[in-house]
Amino acid sequence: MKSVTQSLFAFAVLAGVAVSGASAFAAEVKGAAPSDPALVEKIRQSNAACYGCHTEQGLKAPPRADLDLEKLRQLVHDPAQFDASNHAGMECTVCHGQGYKAFPHAAGAKQSISECGECHATKALRIETQFEASVHAKNFKEQFTCRTCHDPHAFRVAAKLGDPHKIVAQDNAMCVGCHNSDLRFALFSASVTPQKVRPDLDTLHAWLPNTRLHWQAVRCIECHTPTSPVKSLGMSHEILGKDKAEKNCVTCHSQETALATRLYRFAAENGTADLGFANAAILDSAYVVGATRNPIVDRTVGVLFGLTVAVLLGHGALRIALALIRRRRSS
Amino acid sequence: MSHRIYLLPVWLRLWHWTNAVLMIVLAITGASLHFAGSGPLLVPFSLAARIHDIAGVALVATYGFFVVANILSGNWWQYVPKPPGVLGRCWRQAVYYGWGIFKGDPHPYPPTVEANFNALQAIVYWLIMYAVVPVVVVTGLVFLYPQFAPAKMFGVDGLLPVAFLHYIAGSVVILFMLAHIYLGTTGVRVTSLFKMMITGWHEE
Ligand code: HEC
Ligand code: HEC
Ligand code: HEC
Ligand code: HEC
Ligand code: HEC
Ligand code: HEC
Ligand code: HEC
Ligand code: HEM
Repeated sequence: MKSVTQSLFAFAVLAGVAVSGASAFAAEVKGAAPSDPALVEKIRQSNAACYGCHTEQGLKAPPRADLDLEKLRQLVHDPAQFDASNHAGMECTVCHGQGYKAFPHAAGAKQSISECGECHATKALRIETQFEASVHAKNFKEQFTCRTCHDPHAFRVAAKLGDPHKIVAQDNAMCVGCHNSDLRFALFSASVTPQKVRPDLDTLHAWLPNTRLHWQAVRCIECHTPTSPVKSLGMSHEILGKDKAEKNCVTCHSQETALATRLYRFAAENGTADLGFANAAILDSAYVVGATRNPIVDRTVGVLFGLTVAVLLGHGALRIALALIRRRRSS
Repeated sequence: MSHRIYLLPVWLRLWHWTNAVLMIVLAITGASLHFAGSGPLLVPFSLAARIHDIAGVALVATYGFFVVANILSGNWWQYVPKPPGVLGRCWRQAVYYGWGIFKGDPHPYPPTVEANFNALQAIVYWLIMYAVVPVVVVTGLVFLYPQFAPAKMFGVDGLLPVAFLHYIAGSVVILFMLAHIYLGTTGVRVTSLFKMMITGWHEE
C-alpha cells in the first residue's frame, strides 16, 4: 500500500515538474519582448516609425503631406498605454505583418493582422469553447470576436493590473461601452430579428441597490460568468443570461465572499496590513457589508450582548423570587 | 389610593413609540446585514438592506423631530442633570437598582413634573440621545451616500471608519435598549411604566 502511495507521489512530483517546465517553455509566446538591449532598441525604432503618424504628435506634425488626417484622427494611439499593456515591448509588425511598413499601407494588410489564437493557441482554444456558449457568440458569430472586447494595444490582465479599482474600471468599460451605447449596441443587435432594443442597465438591475456603486466596485463578470473550470484561467468567458446570473447578495456580502477568489484573487496574494479583519485584502479598496468583518470586535460585541442579557435576566429572576418571598411572609 | 400626575405630552409619546419601533427594526435588519450568511434566523440580505434603508431615513426624520420638539417645548432641560450632588444621586439610584429594589424599597427619586428623570437616567439618556444616536444617524447617512465618504483613511477604504463607527454606536444603542426595556418593568407594577408611556399619566 505504502509503495503504491510512494510511487503515486513520485509520479505526481514528476508530472508537476513536467507541467511547470512546459509552462516555462510556453511563456515564450511568439513575438515576446526580448531582454537583449540591442533588440529592445531595434523594436523601439521600428515602433517609432508607426508612432510617427499614429499619435497625437504625428497628427499635429504629419511626416508627409498626402495623409488623410480625418482618417488618421480615428487611428491615434497612446504609446504610454501600449507600454503598460500585456503586449508592451512587442513590435507592431509582429501582429500587423509587413503590409503596414510602407505608406500608403498595402491593400490587403488588414487581412493579415494576427488573430489572438495564432500566439495564444492553448489559451485561446479553451477560451473559445467558453465564449461560444454565450449569447454574444451565438447571435453574432461573425461580428463578435475576441477583439470586440479586448484592445490588444491596451488590455492588461488582472494579475498585472493588481489594483481592484483599475481592474473593475477596465473590465467593465468593455461591457458598458456597448451595453450603455445605443449606437454600438445597435451595430450588433441589428443582425438579429426581431432587432433587440438596448435595455437600460440600471433598469435591468433595479433589484440591486445603488447600482452605480456596484459598477465601480465589482465587475459585470463577477455575476455574469461561472467560475472557470480551467484552473490556469482567472475567469470563464461564458456569459450567463438572466436565468443563471448571480442574484444572491450573500455570494459577495458574507464572510465566505466569492470576491476573495475572484476580483480580489490577486490583492489577496499580496495583501497588506490586516488589522485582524476577515477578507482584509478587500479593505484597501472597499468596505463590503457582511464580508469585511472583524472577528475580535464581533466577539466582543457578542460577549457584551450576552452579559447584558444574563445580568438583566438574573436581576429580573431575583426580583421575582424576592417579591414572592416577601408576599408569603406578609400574608 | 393612587396618586396620578400627567407627565408626558402627546408628541413625546408618539415620538417615543415611533422611535422604539424604528430602532428595533433597524437593530434586527442591521444585524442581518452585518452577519449576512451566517444563520437562518437573519432577514434575507436584499430585504434587510431595503428595510434598513427606509427605516434609517425614517429615523433621521424622527430624530430631527425629537431635537426640534425638545428645543421648542423646553423638554431638553429634563435631560440636564442638575448639580449639586449629581454623582451622589446617581450612586443612590445605582444602589437602589443593585440592592433596594430587591427588598421592595420605594424609588429614591420618583418622577415629578419638574424632574421627570432621576440623575442616572438623565445622564444615560443624554449620552444616548445626544452623543450615540447622532453618531449612528450621521454615519448611517454617509453609508447611504457613500460618495461623501472619504476615499481613503488610514490607508484603508474611507467607508471602513464610517461603517465601524456605525456598527459600534449601533451596538451601544442596542445594549442600551435592552437595559431600557428591562428597567421599564421596575415601576409600581411591572406594567405601570409602559402604561405611562402610552397614556402619559404616572401612577404612584
Ligand atoms: C503575435 C503574437 C501575439 C498575438 C497575435 C496576441 N498576443 Fe497576447 N501576448 C503575446 C506575447 C508575446 C505576450 C507576453 C508574454 C506572455 O505573458 O505570455 C502576450 C500576453 C498576453 C496576455 C497576458 C498574459 C496572459 O496570457 O494572460 C493576454 C491576456 C493577451 N496576450 C491577450 C491577447 C489577446 C486578447 C489577443 C488578441 C486580440 C492577443 N493577445 C494577441 C503575443 C501575442
Ligand atoms: C506616414 C504615416 C503613417 C505611418 C508611418 C504608418 N501609418 Fe498606418 N495609417 C496612416 C494613415 C493616414 C492611415 C489611414 C488610412 C489610410 O489612409 O490608409 C493609416 C491606417 C492604418 C491602419 C488601419 C488601416 C485599415 O486597414 O483599417 C493600421 C492598422 C495602421 N495604419 C497600422 C500601422 C502600423 C502598424 C504602422 C507601423 C508599422 C503604421 N501604420 C505606420 C499613416 C501611417
Ligand atoms: C498583439 C497584437 C498587436 C500588436 C502588438 C499591435 N497591434 Fe495594432 N492592431 C491589432 C489588431 C488585432 C488590430 C485590429 C483591431 C480591430 O479589429 O479594430 C489592430 C489595429 C490597429 C490599428 C487600427 C485600428 C485602431 O483602432 O487604431 C492601428 C492604427 C494599430 N493597430 C497600430 C498599432 C501600432 C502603432 C502598434 C505598435 C505600437 C500596434 N498596433 C501593435 C493587433 C496588434
Ligand atoms: C450583482 C450581480 C450582477 C452584476 C454586478 C451585474 N449583473 Fe447583469 N444581471 C444580473 C442578474 C441576476 C440579472 C438577471 C436579472 C433578472 O432576473 O431580470 C442580470 C441581467 C443582465 C442583463 C439582461 C440579461 C438577459 O438575459 O436579458 C444584461 C444585458 C446584463 N445583466 C448586463 C450586465 C452588465 C453589462 C453588467 C456590468 C455593468 C452587469 N450586468 C453587472 C446580475 C448582475
Ligand atoms: C464579452 C467580452 C469578452 C470577449 C468577447 C472575450 N473576452 Fe477575454 N476577457 C474578458 C474579460 C472581462 C476578461 C477579464 C480580464 C481580467 O482578467 O482582468 C478577459 C480575460 C481574458 C484573458 C486573460 C485571462 C487570464 O485569466 O489570464 C485572456 C487571455 C483572454 N481574455 C483572451 C480572450 C480571447 C482569446 C477571446 C476570444 C476567443 C476573448 N478573450 C474574448 C472579456 C472578453
Ligand atoms: C459590442 C457590444 C457588446 C459588448 C462589448 C458586450 N455585449 Fe453583452 N450583449 C450585446 C448585445 C447586442 C446583446 C443582445 C443579445 C441578444 O439578446 O440577442 C447582449 C446580450 C448580453 C446579455 C444577455 C444574455 C442573454 O442570455 O440574453 C448579457 C448578460 C450580456 N450581454 C453581458 C455582457 C457582459 C458581461 C459584457 C462584458 C464582459 C458584454 N455583455 C459585452 C452586446 C455587447
Ligand atoms: C458581485 C458581488 C456583489 C453582489 C452579488 C452584491 N454586492 Fe453589494 N456590494 C459589493 C461591493 C464590492 C460593495 C462595496 C462597494 C464600495 O463601497 O466600494 C457593495 C456594496 C453594497 C452596499 C453598500 C452601499 C452603501 O450604501 O455604502 C449595499 C447596501 C449593497 N451592496 C447591497 C447589495 C444587495 C442588496 C445585493 C443583492 C441584491 C448585493 N449588494 C449584491 C458587491 C456585491
Ligand atoms: C438603532 C439604529 C441602527 C442600528 C442598530 C444600525 C445597525 C447597522 C448595522 C449593524 C449595519 C451593518 C454594517 C456593517 O456590516 O458594518 C448597518 C448598515 C447600514 N445602516 Fe444602520 N443602523 C441603525 C441606524 C441607521 C440609520 C439611522 C441609518 C440611515 C440614515 C442607517 C443606515 C445604514 C446603511 C445605509 C447601512 C448600509 C447597508 C444598507 O444600505 O442597508 N442605519 N446598520
